[in-house]
Amino acid sequence: MKVTVNDVEVDLAPGTSAIDAVFAAGYDVPYFCSQEYMSPVGACRMCLAKVGAPRKDRDGNWILDDETGERTIFAFPALLATCTSALSEGMVIDTLSEEVKHAQNGMIEFTLINHPLDCPVCDKGGACELQDRSYEYGSGRSRFEFTKRHQEKHHPLSDLITLDRERCIHCKRCVRYFEEVPGDEVLDFIDRGGHTYIGTVEHGLPSNFTGNITDICPVGALLDATSRFRGRNWEYDHTASVSLDDASGSAVVVDARTGRIERIKAGLHPEVNKSWIDDGIRFGHEYTADPERITRPLLRKDGELVEVPWPEAAAFVAERLKEFSGKDVGVCIRADATLEEGVAALALAEHLGTGQVDHAPRYGPTVMPPAQATLQELAVSDAIFVVGDVSEEVPAVDLRIKDALRGVTPPPLLPHGVPIADLRLKERMPRKREILCVAAPYRVDLMRHAGTVARYDVGGEETLFRGLIAIAEGGSADERVLGMTLAAAKAFVDRLRAAKKAVIVTGGFVLSSQAAADAAERFARAVGARQLVLGPMANAYGLEAIGVLPSHARYDYASMVAGGAKALLISNLDPAADPAVAERLAESRLLVVHDMFMTATARLAHVVLPAKSGFEKDGTVVNLEGRFMPVRAAPVDAGEAVDVTGLVRELGLAFGVRIEGRSVRSARRSLRKTLGTDLEELTGLGAFVALPRRRVAVSVAARPGVRGRALRVPTMVRQEYLLRNPHLLATLGGPALRLHPDDARTRALSHDDEVTVRVDGVPRRLRVYVTDAMPSGVVSVPALPDAPAGPADVDLDGIVVERRRLEVA
Amino acid sequence: MSDAVADRPKPIVSRFDPRFEVTLYRHVGVAGSHTLPYYREHGGYEAAKRALTTSPSAVIDEVKTSGLRGRGGAGFPTGIKWSFMPPADERQRFIVCNADESEPGSFKDRYFMEDDPHQVIEGMIIAGFAIGATRGVLYVRGEYYLAYERLREAIAACHAEGILGRGVLGSSFDFDIILHRGAGAYICGEETALMNSFEGLRANPRLKPPFPAQAGVYGLPSTINNVETFASVVHIMAKGGAWYAAMGTDDSKGTKLYQVSGPVARPGVYELPMGATFRELIFDLAGGPTMPAKAFIPGGSSTPMLPWTDETLDLPMDYGSMAKAGTMLGTGGVIVIPEAKCMVDAIYNIVRFYAHESCGKCTPCREGVATWLPKMYQKLLAGLGTREDLVVMEDMVRNMRGTAFCPLADACAMPVQASFKYFRHEYEHLVDHGEPLHARRDWWSA
Repeated sequence: MKVTVNDVEVDLAPGTSAIDAVFAAGYDVPYFCSQEYMSPVGACRMCLAKVGAPRKDRDGNWILDDETGERTIFAFPALLATCTSALSEGMVIDTLSEEVKHAQNGMIEFTLINHPLDCPVCDKGGACELQDRSYEYGSGRSRFEFTKRHQEKHHPLSDLITLDRERCIHCKRCVRYFEEVPGDEVLDFIDRGGHTYIGTVEHGLPSNFTGNITDICPVGALLDATSRFRGRNWEYDHTASVSLDDASGSAVVVDARTGRIERIKAGLHPEVNKSWIDDGIRFGHEYTADPERITRPLLRKDGELVEVPWPEAAAFVAERLKEFSGKDVGVCIRADATLEEGVAALALAEHLGTGQVDHAPRYGPTVMPPAQATLQELAVSDAIFVVGDVSEEVPAVDLRIKDALRGVTPPPLLPHGVPIADLRLKERMPRKREILCVAAPYRVDLMRHAGTVARYDVGGEETLFRGLIAIAEGGSADERVLGMTLAAAKAFVDRLRAAKKAVIVTGGFVLSSQAAADAAERFARAVGARQLVLGPMANAYGLEAIGVLPSHARYDYASMVAGGAKALLISNLDPAADPAVAERLAESRLLVVHDMFMTATARLAHVVLPAKSGFEKDGTVVNLEGRFMPVRAAPVDAGEAVDVTGLVRELGLAFGVRIEGRSVRSARRSLRKTLGTDLEELTGLGAFVALPRRRVAVSVAARPGVRGRALRVPTMVRQEYLLRNPHLLATLGGPALRLHPDDARTRALSHDDEVTVRVDGVPRRLRVYVTDAMPSGVVSVPALPDAPAGPADVDLDGIVVERRRLEVA
Repeated sequence: MSDAVADRPKPIVSRFDPRFEVTLYRHVGVAGSHTLPYYREHGGYEAAKRALTTSPSAVIDEVKTSGLRGRGGAGFPTGIKWSFMPPADERQRFIVCNADESEPGSFKDRYFMEDDPHQVIEGMIIAGFAIGATRGVLYVRGEYYLAYERLREAIAACHAEGILGRGVLGSSFDFDIILHRGAGAYICGEETALMNSFEGLRANPRLKPPFPAQAGVYGLPSTINNVETFASVVHIMAKGGAWYAAMGTDDSKGTKLYQVSGPVARPGVYELPMGATFRELIFDLAGGPTMPAKAFIPGGSSTPMLPWTDETLDLPMDYGSMAKAGTMLGTGGVIVIPEAKCMVDAIYNIVRFYAHESCGKCTPCREGVATWLPKMYQKLLAGLGTREDLVVMEDMVRNMRGTAFCPLADACAMPVQASFKYFRHEYEHLVDHGEPLHARRDWWSA
């Protein structure tokens, strides 16, 4: 419908808010409480405008002005908050008149009377909406001459977020955010009137998505504790990139200052993560500045690893590699390496003449389902079946599922981007719980939002899907196998089949068994659902797609480290954490480790080469929906660290050959041939590139029979770096051994005890976490890159208590 | 045509009209009037019985005929409000009674609930039938403990007698009432804040639209009315909409309760037909002021005051006349302000109330009403004010008018603006001399 903003006429869809019309027309109006992807509430009263609209008479004809013959515009008696006003045909919005300016000025004055104006010491200074708006719309002076409200200046809402209650302007964005987006109501206003403040019932914000409130806070009230007092906004280099923390491909903005990453903020990607990221991504960056980071190549001389220049290290490796015939060499990169790194690894393997090339962690089954769902499709799905714990595995998927539960389709983009006030969104919307079924071997967070909940036995994914297939085919199944009543299962299978946009989401638990993955695929076909497979790491999809895979199952990563390769190049993996593997590796004739830290494997290596973190490299990753997304390097001082392309370049120089993939550009030239797309041209939003579907012909070597009632579970935070992320560590208390209270009692363990326990033979130091989310008799430990999610064998009888919980007398 | 007008009987606009009879408050003050036997002896629940034999649309039409307008303050036509309910579907619907009477100067609903609770319940049954709601929510102000007790007893008695529950009064209509006590926040009188409070949420007003008819209690279709509106419905059903419409003026029909407080001989609640004058209320019924008066507030503390003149006292108390005079009928709570009371102090008293009751949701109310304005009054009353302060106050109040999320900020701004309009000289005297024109005095031990 056509509306007029000042002197500009715009044509927008019915239901659009007036504030979006103002921005679409190219005008500006201040606002603090509206926030994209959240309900408009009209609390800050900044976006007031003079609004008028024509009216119809009783016969449905427009009332016309007698003199001009035009439609008479009837002005609303008071100024309207444009964020909460829907457009009507012929509406006239005035944002420039004296009356409007006076009101905006007055609102700025009201907002500032209790604001401390401590901008010179505020972390938000320079990037503060209140500061900007005060300059643009305020009078520059205050007539308020009384003492301002004094409240707590440093209130730790959690170990990750600090609240300055004096700076808060009560826009309610954070409070609304928790209810509307993750559905975790952990924050609210307390007290009333001028005494209103935000707070929690207890310390801490029990949600996986708390950090987003620091992005949306229009002032410096809510601050990321990892970056507080560490820099001013104009000093930061902002790098728009993609997170390599999980397979979602969430857009992030990496803020670095003087060569150090200080904070991660959410980037905007309307089709992937919208403007939200989980806490694992946001706060899990501190390891990049860890003082123990390896910044120069290390070469073993007289039994000691000593720092050497790159050419010396590369020459040593090149010289030694000549001793081996190709098939004795193994190359393995981590599954969050970029496509370009994958090309480099493949090219190096080809140069060496070996088929022993792989990426890890990798499961046997493919992460590329035949009927691939996208995250946008998930967000509008009408029936969702989830197996596993997506809230921990790929938290972005959890939020898109919650979008579907709200039942509001993603907003169309306007000329100025995402609508500022989407009037379809409301506070406390009813959620369509009935469209969601969550199945897992233990209680997972998403079950709170699910209409149907199933708890099957550990390792029961295959039988679960077989049971569901039987039901879909009109048969029946054992309720113990389904983990829910037969009636519930039947009802949900019917719902999936009747749904037009059904999506089945599976993760590591299903991928860890070929039979389960096959059954899931068959079930999806039986009910006509699309699939979203949560790969184990950021680029598992892409590396599989370009074929960073061994030429035979006996050449895979597990076989390589188990003695299959006499010379090994390993990037960012730590197989030697397993003492049995360490013994073998100690005997290997050449072990080259490319890593950021001195891992158990690096300590055995002949050469250790410094690696870049995921924030420091350029490249491309393919997220779990098959979207190619550009990763951009932040200006971080990583010493002489290189990514795999850099590693290959250095080795190539030493070999005296130009290996393909010796740089990102070189790798992209190679990829252009295979993909038919130039990745140099990829925009920040990424793109879908048609991929030849590759059925993984090579599986991973079966692990020795796991019969334990234990699980390696995916976690939102990267466990391999958890101990080097002090803020996350303080929040989580450490990697958790989760078990049921009854089991804790039987084994005389209490919450917070520190123990060492063997997980599949690997000793792990863990913190006891007693929770009734675990069924009695089942324990879980966090997955690691070298030990991805799936059933595990945990030696509870051999548990050693290292330190008892601190008892307070 | 003119003959027809001439034939139409003159509407009843005075309590002294012989055709007028007290209906709403006929039982108030009678010992034992709150019991069910007393109420039934006096024809109680007959109106509901009759209504239940007709159809919901017939009830709504009758209420539309009566011209009844909401008695909570805003004066929205009740019949039209009821017809806003969406067509019936499988969803639960609610009829909500707003008994959170908290406006200073208003105390009419209290005596309904204390002395005549069954009248309210009967009205809710009729309204519930009209809009197809099988659940009523009676949200009673927390401080009204006796009212709460009496309502609780009344509801229990109704259950025992089959008046509430399955098959109300032998009909096929099921209806039950949930009695809920507030926790002492004025903002809960705002309909959507009341619903939030009832749901156990923070009592912030909600965004409208959606209006309660679309998404009210628990997001379900709801209609909310004031206690007096429900009581009026009983009599409309008993005596017919035409009887009701015979009282009052063109835009304001029926009979209404007016409250008088301040220095008058007989403060209290008086039932008058709409359109009766302030003079009739203040002088004839309340016995006139006991000391010289300079102004009166016509409809509860939020309505702009009027100066004490012959013209204003002769104004008819109806919605239209009040709007024309630049004020509002509100709840009909008239407060007489004596000559000897410092107007600045009197208004500060009102401002303090609204400052305390601001919910803190929106900026002008939280920062203006609840923080800045009371501080300015404190400064003035401490004798530290300046002429510039008055300019600042007027501008601040202008910024509070019509900019806030809900009417609470307006409710605070309007009396302040009116005081500046009529009694600016008192403010000026205070800032020029450092002390008020009318000295502080002890009003209670005199």
